[in-house]
Amino acid sequence: MDEKLVPVVCPYCGVGCRLYIRSSDGHPLGIEYANDIPGISNENGKLCPKGNAVLEYVLARDRLKKPLKAKEQGKFVEISWSQAIKEVAERLKEYSKDDPNSMMFFGSAKTFNEPNYLIQKLARMLGTNNVDHCARLCHASTVSGLKAVFGAGAMTNTYRDIEEANVIFIIGHNFAETHPVGFRYVLKAKERGAKVIVADPRFTRTAWFADIYLQHYPGTDIALINGLIHVIIEERLYDEKFVRERCTGFDELAKTVEKFTPGYVEKITGVPADLIVQAARTFATGGKGVITWAMGITQHTHGHDNVRLLATLSAICGYQGREGCGVSPMRGQNNVQGACDLGVLPNVFPGYKAVSDPEGRKFFEEFWGTELSGEVGLTVIEAAHAIEKGKVRAYYVMGENPVISDANTNHVIKALHKLEFMVVQDIVPTPTMEFADIVLPAAAMLENEGSLTNTERRVQWSFQAINPPGEARPDWWIVSEIGKAAGFTGDGPKGFNYSGPEDILREVNACTPQYRGITPERLKANLAGIHWPCPSEDHPGTRVLYKERFLTSDGKAHLAAVEYRGPAETPDEDYPFLLTTVRYVGHYHTLTMTGRSRALVKRWPEPLAEIHPEDAERLGIKTGDWVKIVTRRGEYPIRAKVTRTVKKGVIAVPWHWGANVVTNDALDPVAKIPETKACACKVVKITEEEARELMKKVPPVIPEIEIVRG
Amino acid sequence: MARKTVFIDFSKCIECRACEVACEREHNGRSFINVFEWQEMAAMALNCRHCEKAPCLEVCPTNALYRDGDGAVLLAPQKCIGCLMCGIVCPFGIPELDSLDKIMMKCDLCAHRRAEGKLPACVETCPTDALLFGDFNDIQRMRRQKFTEKAIEIAKSGERIQFRGV
Repeated sequence: MDEKLVPVVCPYCGVGCRLYIRSSDGHPLGIEYANDIPGISNENGKLCPKGNAVLEYVLARDRLKKPLKAKEQGKFVEISWSQAIKEVAERLKEYSKDDPNSMMFFGSAKTFNEPNYLIQKLARMLGTNNVDHCARLCHASTVSGLKAVFGAGAMTNTYRDIEEANVIFIIGHNFAETHPVGFRYVLKAKERGAKVIVADPRFTRTAWFADIYLQHYPGTDIALINGLIHVIIEERLYDEKFVRERCTGFDELAKTVEKFTPGYVEKITGVPADLIVQAARTFATGGKGVITWAMGITQHTHGHDNVRLLATLSAICGYQGREGCGVSPMRGQNNVQGACDLGVLPNVFPGYKAVSDPEGRKFFEEFWGTELSGEVGLTVIEAAHAIEKGKVRAYYVMGENPVISDANTNHVIKALHKLEFMVVQDIVPTPTMEFADIVLPAAAMLENEGSLTNTERRVQWSFQAINPPGEARPDWWIVSEIGKAAGFTGDGPKGFNYSGPEDILREVNACTPQYRGITPERLKANLAGIHWPCPSEDHPGTRVLYKERFLTSDGKAHLAAVEYRGPAETPDEDYPFLLTTVRYVGHYHTLTMTGRSRALVKRWPEPLAEIHPEDAERLGIKTGDWVKIVTRRGEYPIRAKVTRTVKKGVIAVPWHWGANVVTNDALDPVAKIPETKACACKVVKITEEEARELMKKVPPVIPEIEIVRG
Repeated sequence: MARKTVFIDFSKCIECRACEVACEREHNGRSFINVFEWQEMAAMALNCRHCEKAPCLEVCPTNALYRDGDGAVLLAPQKCIGCLMCGIVCPFGIPELDSLDKIMMKCDLCAHRRAEGKLPACVETCPTDALLFGDFNDIQRMRRQKFTEKAIEIAKSGERIQFRGV
């Protein structure tokens, strides 16, 4: 028997853990921990529960095995690959001739760099910049906010810097549950004597490890951070030399935060004033500090400003450009960073060259040998609105699930009904697939190879461990076949003739400065991967960014002065509670993967809405009772869990099971991210029958698709 | 003979249940380590302690329970008659009856992995090092040393802070 251990990257979160798949002739036998590879992001081969269960979703019974064509909504017939590709390519070409901007392309942060590069290349060669992916719903504000202050939107440091820090500020992020393996580095720092400050409306598992815990109301982050900056400036704890030499806009910042005295901030956020002072002192005097955040900071109408303020806080303390310092936005999916880097965004080409910049556009026009649009495209949420106006008529969705992941689901579903043509490329049936005209079965990550960029800018190669089921094909193969069928048959970068992901990565090396030295050969030889920027083949990669200068036009950090704004919707008489969404450690995003894993579903079988005991008593709710969460956008049935971990007046609901039917889709003006993390709601106790009735109206997380004959 | 076991530090447990999923994968869909939560936030994993004076081993009428080279208490399935004695005497309620085969099942400290020189799966996977595999006295010595070092450091700096787990 030909048994082998294949090194792969975990297909779940952005930590980018390595593990081995034990396989025989392309069939999986089990997994093994990668404790013999030095320098990987999961030291000693550690894995979280999802990582331990990776094989279960790959072996799911309802994997897509053949291309499908819709007869009517939700009913499909099997077709051949050649027919599917021909049909998709022809339809796309028609739209391209008619009006390229009537098409919208979705890349995926769940798949490799190579298919992501190809999908944006396909969109752009067809004449549109309407290409986006789910980073829009998680870290768009991080990209735009960090770009505004530092000049680029990536994590400035690595996990090793978290481990070496003296003070770690975790805000809007349940680190222990969302990235258990990344949290390892926080605990290691703490063991060494580092202080941990946690700000969160819930007393989470992360907060359990905090030295200082700030429990603020959802959506009051700006006031809280301004309060910290106020204390730091007032007590002159900031790094004067760093501010003088490497930052601009300090005076304006000092003036803006003047009124954010601890007392004033206490009134807005509900955090005691002396705790704010204590946190500010601890953070500023730590010597080496890291700030980490995730969706609790970004998914707001002021997400962009939140991130700018956090970057400002880090900069005035001088925590940039040094080891053991930096800002660490924690990415949710394993290739969010890579998909952003390779231009699956409506406003930039690969390597963050703006589409509106004629010089960058000229480079890609010559490189791809075609004329390109200079008009900034539509984002995920904007596209859903554009369908209603008749501007967008076709969707190409690669590995995305907007029905569950977008805010205000009911609106998204209404929009998808109006689409003329929709292609869904995925590994298993999703609720989004019900609206598809053509379904293309893709190979899952372990059945496929390519490079991935994790949250700390580490590019790693994942090898093929097992064979895909049925006729499922790698993502890069599908997109390149469609590209060829659409008429892009030129040589080299001018067409879609690829023999494998290595070819594509070489093309990426040629057009993306950050990835220039990250060749497939180097990645395959070095399993621990390379941190970009890596400008040449002999460059070792970059651990800490901005050692000399920032990437802004003048090389300085542009400190942000931001006035306080609350969430778009605040509690009132009709909707007295503040709703926020949370995650479970054992589940992942829209449940497409973890929902098919027996070990995980057994442990985390259903969502529970967390409610404070005093609120629960007033409403007569006990743990286990059915309630419905009502907002201006919809109703969501869920069981209640009475717990002191949430702040009074706040309801916390896990979003994996489709809680986005009630969340707000008000957008941040800059980052265009919807405010999923805070909105006004009311809680009504209901009976089980009513709950079952309501449940039918919420889209099923794991749908059954019907395949009919003929 | 150094007796090794899984040492559990509840102050580091984040209740991610990676140990449970790993154990389940190694033992045909059944987990012999369980994470319990109490007081809403504090959690702790519990598996077979492989006791020094193991009551299960002492009462087993058929000698189906035995110790291996590392001191782990293992079960020989062919000798087990499913009398449940071990389950009754175990203070931690560890041995379980397999409903299909009518024999007892319990944590074997991943005998198949130890045979290859690997750590038990739960210990190998624990992201926060809340689970450690080793000789009990060695681990206690290490903890004592850490505690003392920290206490000395704090005494030197003159800082007043509270301890919560070391």
